[in-house]
Amino acid sequence: MAGTNTVLVVDDERQIQRFLRPALTAAGFTVEATLSGEEALRCFLASPPEVVVLDLGLPDMNGLAVLAEIRKTSPVPVVILSARDDEAGKVAALEAGADDYVSKPFGVGELVARLRTALRHAVQVAGTTAVYTAGDLVIDTLAHRVTVRGEPVKLTPKEYDILHLLTRHAGRVLTHQQILNEVWGPHHGEQLQYLRVFMGRLRQKVEADPADPRLLLNEPGVGYRLAAAHKARLKEGR
Amino acid sequence: MLPDLPSRRDPDRLLAAARRDERGHLKIFLGAAPGVGKTYAMLSNAKRLKLAHLDVVVGLVETHGRAETEALIDGLEVLPRRAMPYHGRDLAEFDLDAALARHPALMIVDELAHSNPPDSRHPKRHQDVAELLDAGIDVWTALNIQHLESLSDVVARLTGVTVRETVPDTVLEAADDVVVVDITPAELITRLSEGRIYRPETAARAANAFFKPGNLTALRELALRRTADRVDDQMVDHLRHNAIEGAWPTAERILVCIGGDPQSAAVLRAASRLASGLNAPLVALTIERTGAEVTDPDALRRIDETLRLAERLGAETARLAARDLPEAILRYAGRENVTQIVIGRSGASRWARLRGRSLSGALLRRAEGVAIHLITTEAPPVRRRPYAWPSRRSVGVRLAVAVGWVALAVPVGRLVGWVLHLSDASMVFLAAVLGCAMTVGQWPAVVAAGLSFLAYNFFFVSPIYTLTVAEPHELLALFTFLLVAVVTGGLTGRVRDQAQAAFDRATTLQALYDVSRKLARATGLDDVLWILARQAAAAVSGRVLVLLDEGRAATVADLAIRAAFPPEDELGSTDWAAARWAYERQEPAGWRTGTLPNAQFRFEPILTQQGVVGVVGTAPGDRSRPLPADRQRRLEALVDQGTLAIERARLAGEARRNEAMAERERLQTTLLSSLSHDLRTPLSSILGAATSLRSYGAAMSQVDRDDLLLAIEEDARRLARFVSNLLDMTRVEAGVTDLKRDWVEVADVLRGAVARAEKLFPDRRHVIRFGADLPLVRGDAVLLEQALFNLLDNADKYSPLGTATTVWADQQRAGVTIGIEDEGSGIPTPDLTRVFDKFTRVGVGDGRPAGTGLGLSVAKGVVEAMGGTVRAESPCRQGRGTCLLVWLPGAAASMEEGVDGGNQHGAGGR
Repeated sequence: MAGTNTVLVVDDERQIQRFLRPALTAAGFTVEATLSGEEALRCFLASPPEVVVLDLGLPDMNGLAVLAEIRKTSPVPVVILSARDDEAGKVAALEAGADDYVSKPFGVGELVARLRTALRHAVQVAGTTAVYTAGDLVIDTLAHRVTVRGEPVKLTPKEYDILHLLTRHAGRVLTHQQILNEVWGPHHGEQLQYLRVFMGRLRQKVEADPADPRLLLNEPGVGYRLAAAHKARLKEGR
Repeated sequence: MLPDLPSRRDPDRLLAAARRDERGHLKIFLGAAPGVGKTYAMLSNAKRLKLAHLDVVVGLVETHGRAETEALIDGLEVLPRRAMPYHGRDLAEFDLDAALARHPALMIVDELAHSNPPDSRHPKRHQDVAELLDAGIDVWTALNIQHLESLSDVVARLTGVTVRETVPDTVLEAADDVVVVDITPAELITRLSEGRIYRPETAARAANAFFKPGNLTALRELALRRTADRVDDQMVDHLRHNAIEGAWPTAERILVCIGGDPQSAAVLRAASRLASGLNAPLVALTIERTGAEVTDPDALRRIDETLRLAERLGAETARLAARDLPEAILRYAGRENVTQIVIGRSGASRWARLRGRSLSGALLRRAEGVAIHLITTEAPPVRRRPYAWPSRRSVGVRLAVAVGWVALAVPVGRLVGWVLHLSDASMVFLAAVLGCAMTVGQWPAVVAAGLSFLAYNFFFVSPIYTLTVAEPHELLALFTFLLVAVVTGGLTGRVRDQAQAAFDRATTLQALYDVSRKLARATGLDDVLWILARQAAAAVSGRVLVLLDEGRAATVADLAIRAAFPPEDELGSTDWAAARWAYERQEPAGWRTGTLPNAQFRFEPILTQQGVVGVVGTAPGDRSRPLPADRQRRLEALVDQGTLAIERARLAGEARRNEAMAERERLQTTLLSSLSHDLRTPLSSILGAATSLRSYGAAMSQVDRDDLLLAIEEDARRLARFVSNLLDMTRVEAGVTDLKRDWVEVADVLRGAVARAEKLFPDRRHVIRFGADLPLVRGDAVLLEQALFNLLDNADKYSPLGTATTVWADQQRAGVTIGIEDEGSGIPTPDLTRVFDKFTRVGVGDGRPAGTGLGLSVAKGVVEAMGGTVRAESPCRQGRGTCLLVWLPGAAASMEEGVDGGNQHGAGGR
């Protein structure tokens, strides 16, 4: 893993800050901790971090507003901290440009993994890869070829588009809306059932056990995520 | 045919067809006379079905000892009859409940027109049959044509036999099948003479009275014609049902005007026959002239009866009041698209008729585009009574008053003649007649006039003390006197009667107004019901019950007596059945109705816009005759008022319940969000710190590791406190009964609480000051310490670091006052009472001090359970800080209170 990345942690709860600072430091980050939105934006402009951890419930301004301010100037990866039952907040944050989210209460390992995925993705956007690997799944975007456990899989163009989209953002959650807009175009935004049908078919084709999906994961109420299982392999590769 | 009328099925028709499907089917075997073979036909058909394994049960069959018919019953299941005691004899009657319990596919019930003995559920058998049909049982029954309601007067005229047992026409019309069982009159008479219909002794009588060829032919024609009409209806029905365009009946609509005269019923029947002949809907209208309302109770009763008959005949009914009767009738007819008006020859006086002022005459002159049928009826010999005699006693009193006035006039006349030398005393008699008219009314005044005429003649006209008159001019004067006396007396009396009537009406109105004002002021449902019961009892001079559906059972009527005057809480089983019937069918039942007339009470449904909510039962004091019309009206007006009030009270209650429910929901939402925040925050911290240690502990410094462990400990404690507060809250809310009532020393408990607080806030200074001679209090030391700790915790949490919290206790008002004062920013005044509510926390956002929102409300609950009070004051010192004040009653006071208040839990024993 690359040396030290600076992370800006924005959370008003001291108890959260109290364990995040030592844990993230120990995980190899340089931690900047702020307790309010104002402070966070000041800090962000003074010394731009490489990744941001942002709590949605801030006392002075809404986390979404902070995110919008950040997105005005920077594509820096942002991981949201939110309550488990706040699906609307998560979706809104993801659609406003957040890269991922972690529901409270969370384990530090989970947060660190999400932060690393977000950082890596930021790197990947710069140099696009032709071949993606996720577990047993290999997608060759140049040859439009998909293999599972070495066996080629026949996909319809839409299925391929969905899979390709998820693979490009492997490990990250994509909202239903984002997938629909990307694959079907902006006018099919409400047709959630299309997506469910296609995801069902995709799982039939690429999952070892479609009833217990390991690759195409559902994030209830939010969207879908392609498991970042390949992360380990990539890390080994680096 | 209208070209643009779409050829589609009429939804009403389809609905009627659907309704027919769930109800049982009714098949009527219609005959012209007894003995034509209806029962025979019914049973032989039933036998065939029985062979085809249909579940056929004979509910009741009258064989009249006819051998052929009796033979047919063999092999059919026969329902045992119910023995009903009646006038010392046991009548074997149809057992409706057993029939419903047996619930066969098809039941045979003979003699549809039969009247049940009193104490039965329904007075008429056709009502029993209707209940069977409602229960989904098919019924076959037999009926003779002369028993049909609308034909009863025709039959009476044709045959000279008055039929008492009648069946409403609607029953025949609603039947799914009608089969005419027909033989020729000659054959029927042969059968009769052979003894196959009645036993010989009865047969001879019957042959003379009824079984005459003329009668039988007439009846046979009626039966056949009725059935032909039905077949015609069915044809139209079939055309509609299958959306076939055909010869539709013209859109005729018939209006019949009925009044209080005895001929109205006959006019109505004639109109009904006309309507069914034309297949047209019938509207029965009764109309009163405003200012000259019908007051004769007989007429009112007849109007009601005729309207009821109209409903039985399937007509709509309407009541109007207007000044100009013909105008109102024609306007109504125009509005209701009436094409034909049926009216009886009006009962107007010969004089009015001569001037063309009769109603029928006026209608004929003014009507446009409407056919008018004038029905002439033979006026039956009715005893016409010009006045409503109130009672025999009051007649006697009035006569006595009239005689008294005249008797007084004689000596006064003498005296006046002697003193004033006035020869003519007629003025005195005239004055007596007027006095009589003013005091007792019109007719006694006329009587007094007659008496005065005689007395004047006897005492004052020469020759005196005879009734003879000597001088011709005196005879003329005498008769002039009579005329003047009668006219003035009559007029004065009428004015007085009218004034009396106006007064009566005003009294009734005033009473109604009073009731409505009382009802408007009544807030609770119980008050409304009580007022209704009381006033209704006064209106009927008897007993009144109000029963409401308590709604505890979803499917059956759960009626309970909610108010009664005079108070009563028991009802006989017949009355219960009648009340339930009235409630379920939404029609009157009980005393003097068609259902369970043997009940004590008459029950009327209380119909609100939300549907039926209960019933009102009335039992007039005088049971020998129906409730007088004016009382009936007053009762109805009362019940109407009451219904509105009940509806209002119910809606108000519902609104309150909804509000309470909304409040509860709001509290639950607050509870949920508070729980989720207060549980999740420490959990997030614990989980985060623990996973940090596990994953990266090795890479951390010892200081960081220790801090994370401390964070875990602190937040685990916080969770523990939260949970114990939740549990305390539940305990306090569950009731004070499990609160211990030990002797408690406040200072000890307070010191314990401060020690706990100091552990939690080591950097906070606590100043303790106790007054002398603090009395002991009674209560639960552990809970009290928790309560005081919660108050301290709150004070410490909301005040800045380094400030002091003062804790003091003093003897006050036979108890102890405890004060906890902090140097924080204070509580805004509007929140001073709210802070003790559950889950109320001053301040917003995640950044506020980690509290539970429960601490203060637990403290309040505990203190109040111990008989004390708690309140907050802010600011308390130099414009800053909050003071939380707790007062607890001293042990002596609380013991007295405990004994006085009946709350002796643990008080006496220690």
